[in-house]
Amino acid sequence: MITAGIDVGNQRVKVVILKDGKVVARGQAFAGFDPSDAVKHIFSEALNEAKMQRSDVAHVTATGAGMENAPEADSTVSMMGADARAGVYMIPSARTVIDVGAEEARAVKCDSKGVMVDFVVNERCAAGAGAFIEAMARALEVNLEEMGPISLKAERASSINANCVIFGESDVVTLIHKQESKAEIARAIFDAMADRISAMVHRLGIAPDVVLVGGVAKDVGFVAALKRKLGIEILVPEYPEYTGALGAALVARSRVKEAVKE
Amino acid sequence: MTETTKEAKYLQALPKREIEEARAMIKAASVKIIEENLQRMRKTWPRRPKEIEYFDEIAKFSKREEELLKAKEEGKKVIGYFCIFAPIELILAADAIPVRVNSGWYDPAKFGDRIVPVEVCPVIRSTIGAKMVSLSPYLELSDAILSTLTCDGMTKLSEIISDSKPVWTMVPPRIKDSAQAIRFWSEQIRSVKKKLEEFTGNKITRRKLKEAIEITQKATKAFRRLQQIRSGPPVIMGRDVMLVNQTSMWDNLERWTAKTEALCEELEKRAAQKKWACPTDTPRVLITGTPMFWPDNWKLPAIVEEATPQGIIVADELCSSDRFLYDPVGVDEWTENDMLNAISERYLMASTCPCFTSEDGNEDRVNWLLNKVKEAKVDGVIYCVVHGCMLYAMEYTRIKRALDKINIPVYYLDTEYTREDVGQIKTRVEAFLEMLTARIEV
Repeated sequence: MITAGIDVGNQRVKVVILKDGKVVARGQAFAGFDPSDAVKHIFSEALNEAKMQRSDVAHVTATGAGMENAPEADSTVSMMGADARAGVYMIPSARTVIDVGAEEARAVKCDSKGVMVDFVVNERCAAGAGAFIEAMARALEVNLEEMGPISLKAERASSINANCVIFGESDVVTLIHKQESKAEIARAIFDAMADRISAMVHRLGIAPDVVLVGGVAKDVGFVAALKRKLGIEILVPEYPEYTGALGAALVARSRVKEAVKE
Repeated sequence: MTETTKEAKYLQALPKREIEEARAMIKAASVKIIEENLQRMRKTWPRRPKEIEYFDEIAKFSKREEELLKAKEEGKKVIGYFCIFAPIELILAADAIPVRVNSGWYDPAKFGDRIVPVEVCPVIRSTIGAKMVSLSPYLELSDAILSTLTCDGMTKLSEIISDSKPVWTMVPPRIKDSAQAIRFWSEQIRSVKKKLEEFTGNKITRRKLKEAIEITQKATKAFRRLQQIRSGPPVIMGRDVMLVNQTSMWDNLERWTAKTEALCEELEKRAAQKKWACPTDTPRVLITGTPMFWPDNWKLPAIVEEATPQGIIVADELCSSDRFLYDPVGVDEWTENDMLNAISERYLMASTCPCFTSEDGNEDRVNWLLNKVKEAKVDGVIYCVVHGCMLYAMEYTRIKRALDKINIPVYYLDTEYTREDVGQIKTRVEAFLEMLTARIEV
């Protein structure tokens, strides 16, 4: 059986095609000003990669903040539901899935079947999400990809305010004026983010194993900071940025099976 | 009154043109949003009962506004109040008209921002703003305001509003279980009685007081009957009950009671014929937290009942809805003293406001919620708090722990007096309902 998941995120659109429970194609593109166009484009590219037609796909499920912009989809699932499903699929021992995306962070508790049992979402501010790292990388004049590795070189910790991207940036400027090293400032940025995310996860309650997904999970600086704050092991699966799309494709699979049963 | 000669402590006089422009704009938007809210309720539930149309009419404000104007011309006084600690029996017994005046409009909050910081709860900021542009018909028509100092916001709001109207304050004790607390409160009830008598020129006689208590007792009976129906199989949508509940705060209470009984009649008939308002396996939600005022701050009830998957609000623990008339004044002997004691007790002891505490925490609220969850077969709770509403925000952890124990999921939602977060709230509420649906299926 072939199904697909489309995750229309705040910044990027991700697609996963699943054949008999195995990923056969992945693709992503900037959501841009016309997300539905991006969806159309990347979905057909993924189909090409898998050497398939739209008609080969039994069911398409969309998720993400812009899920309504995926006319290709047959159904939708919440981002939290998709996280739980894919988290447990990738790492069966996962019971807490933390997803840090471009503009939102959330944590989902789930059972062994990948059904969510509770969730929490960050307050309405991008300071606890990927956009914060992007803004700070600009302030430090380093590439986004360099931020993590640089932060690991820090010898001590400074602190900044991460309650707000704008104030956070002015704190960073203060540190620059104090001539702190880039490594220390980068670490302070990740620490501040990890502080916010760990407070959010603590409100939910931590159930091991804890899995980190979303685009920010690829940032070694953030992963190290979150490990320090939570004081426990954090597992990061392969392709963490495709978690939402994978979860949606898995939900699509279940929906086909249910329909057959009925 | 001396208020015209007093120097304003807080309020600033806006240019007349600005006031008029703002009021005209917000009023026009308000008429639109009321119509839109009602349309959406009809769309969700196309076969709304005939008897509910009366409440739609009251929800449009203008009918009741005209009635209040007429009553004032006939010499009656209108007494506004913010918190539901205001003893409406005493107001009625003084031949005055009680009306709740908290602002549910989003737009005036930006005027309130000129007086207090944005960190302050938007219910307060919007009520200040409503006063600044003379927006709220009920606040404008009030001859005096009876304000209970339940939270920090209410405390300073009273001070601010006193720049424009006489404001009488009452201070609830923060603990209930002590003899001093009850005495402290009951003395205030008696002093409000005196103030009302002086202000209206009407003596609150024993007979008048008895009549007033009987009016609210009957209202409570109808109110409870409606909540009972609501907590059973889905014969009425929750949003519709919440509107009926809220209109009791502005309407003529005797007329409201008769209309509510008639509505219950119609609903019971429908229940007997199993004519449900939505499928019987729809996830059953209870809403608690900061009060939600008509017409703008109606977004959460709308989102829940219009969501995919859909939810139904079978109960709420809001002082703007289920809590208002829920508890009767219990009188043993109809002496003046006993009646006043019964009123004191009813307003203090029955309240589940988070302003209270005890060694065991705010036990009354915890127990009320746990009972309601059981009685209304609630599948999940949405705990909704506006930014700056400290007491409700802080009590969340306690409530969550109590609900965790009985395995009832609860979701904490924070919002503001704004329309911009509707998309985000919808995403979260739909995820929560999806989770409840999955639990129901298992």
